[in-house]
Amino acid sequence: MANLIEANKICKDFQIGVSKIQALRDIDFHANRGDFVAIMGASGSGKSTLLYILGCLDRPTTGTYFLDGQDVSHTTDRELSHIRANLIGFIFQTFNLLPQLNIYENVEVPFLYGSIDGEEIEERVTRAIRQVGLLHRLKHRPSELSGGEMQRVAIARAICMDPVLILADEPTGNLDSQTGLDILKTFEELHDHGATILLVTHAREVAAFARRKLTLRDGKFIETYPITEEAR
Amino acid sequence: MRHTRLLKKPVKVINIALRSLLQHKLRTALSILGVICGVMAVMTMISIGEGAKRESLVQIEQLGTKNIYIKAISLTDVQKKKAMDGRSPGLGAGDAARIRRECPGVTDVAYLKELRASVMAAAKDISPQVVACSANYSGLQSIHVSHGRSLTEQDMVQNNQVCVLGDRVAKNLGLQGHVGNFVRIEDSLFKIIGQLQPFDRKAVKSGAITARNYNEMVIIPLAAAAMFDEKQSINSVSKSSELTEIIVQVRSADQVDSTAKIIRRIMEHAHGGVEDYQVVVPQELLRQSQKIQRTFNVVLGSIAFISLLVGGIGIMNIMLATVSERTREIGIRRSLGATQEDIIIQFLTEAVSLTFSGGLIGVLTGTVCVWLVSTIAKWTTAITMLSFILPLLTSVLIGIFFGLYPAYLAAKMDPIAALRYE
Repeated sequence: MANLIEANKICKDFQIGVSKIQALRDIDFHANRGDFVAIMGASGSGKSTLLYILGCLDRPTTGTYFLDGQDVSHTTDRELSHIRANLIGFIFQTFNLLPQLNIYENVEVPFLYGSIDGEEIEERVTRAIRQVGLLHRLKHRPSELSGGEMQRVAIARAICMDPVLILADEPTGNLDSQTGLDILKTFEELHDHGATILLVTHAREVAAFARRKLTLRDGKFIETYPITEEAR
Repeated sequence: MRHTRLLKKPVKVINIALRSLLQHKLRTALSILGVICGVMAVMTMISIGEGAKRESLVQIEQLGTKNIYIKAISLTDVQKKKAMDGRSPGLGAGDAARIRRECPGVTDVAYLKELRASVMAAAKDISPQVVACSANYSGLQSIHVSHGRSLTEQDMVQNNQVCVLGDRVAKNLGLQGHVGNFVRIEDSLFKIIGQLQPFDRKAVKSGAITARNYNEMVIIPLAAAAMFDEKQSINSVSKSSELTEIIVQVRSADQVDSTAKIIRRIMEHAHGGVEDYQVVVPQELLRQSQKIQRTFNVVLGSIAFISLLVGGIGIMNIMLATVSERTREIGIRRSLGATQEDIIIQFLTEAVSLTFSGGLIGVLTGTVCVWLVSTIAKWTTAITMLSFILPLLTSVLIGIFFGLYPAYLAAKMDPIAALRYE
């Protein structure tokens, strides 16, 4: 069976003024369905750039990227949006909830752009919110929630479309250690239910929750190894 | 190709747009002030314009769209001399006969002479106008009797001393004004043979011709006018004029202009070039009135346009600020799968919601404004469907026009830069 993610020789250059910066250099990255991968690296190592390319928010300068068998490195902006809407769920460090909408409506937003219609929307939104344990706060605004609760709402929003890939960018970066731990346990549960998770972090203890860890430095992977149960 | 989902979920999108706007109530209210003023101006303009149009239409209809009027007019001393030199007889029955004979499209010709004669026993608050006219006058002017009968050809031939009273005159005379009784006009007694139906008179603002106030008229046969002394003719300037007015009716309204041309030629020839008459075509009055109306509309329309333009610029300004303020939200939505079109639709919906709300408030305040204009200034106004639909449609178009550029800027944002925006 083909890999869910097949990224080959990915390069990403940025032009800043007259100088060209190579954010990613010949990155090869493969992941199967059900993987839980952590990408580590210091600030400026290129991990977020890689995450955005894998999340179809950006395109590589060179190289090929196949997601679920589909070449997404040469698609139109509209097609990339379609892929993001239906195949990918994003979780951000700063939660990125819409302040004017309540919890239910925030989780409902991806359905404005996805291919699911009708009563199924309500069913999926409710299920996702139940999964993160926030059914009792449906009508609350993000400003009325704690950091941990906001991140759980963001997780619900990311999983409600049943995406093939969940991308998390420093998901515990804005949380205290206990709340961060709770969130990571939620990721574990999602993984146990078969979700494919790609997590970007600079914290070793966060990366330890993944099943595989890759470290980026100056736009290149410097180490790749599985994390044993014992190490975790 | 995937159709944008937002188009399939318009209620949701409008709901979100309104919620976003309500986050800043004061700013939203201030930003739509310009649109409110513009829409109010458009609505007031349309209502006043429509009212004036209807009023002039009613006035012209009262004069008859198939009619042409030839009026005897006052002459200056120079003109009088010229009239004598040219041997113009003044407006007379000969003109009527000539027109009937020589104009192909004419179906009927009526004529009348205004008399300065007082009606005895009439109260001082009314001043009955005594007119002597041909038998077909009532029919041609579409005035009908409520009691009794109109004048007939027989009354003319037999020189009967009969009269038809206007509604107000009859009511004013009380029992004496009933059909069958007699009324004294100057020194003569006239038998009342009919009473006219009440007439809703619209005063014509043009000085060229006025719809007569039939309510205060006393109509006698033209032949009976001879008994009044020549001095009593109010056409004092042109004493030789037999008639005050000739009314010519043509077969259809589109023949009016051509027939009027022929009449002018006939009259010019018959009166030796002396302009002791005036040919008035109600349709021409209508056209003049429409021309004035158009000028009025252009002036008011320009004011409304400027107001809406200012309002639109305000909307664009506020939308640009909104887009800048919500850059991160744009990034979030793009990461959740929104296409550029989705973002455009979202911000356009907000802009249109803004201007449409302004339009609704503008229509409401415009209705109040129209009411004030008709109550205080006593102008005739008319609120039609157009006066609601056009301002609302304009407000929507303003929203689209001035919201498009900010929406386009939002859509063109780099999603990653937008997500990282602090």
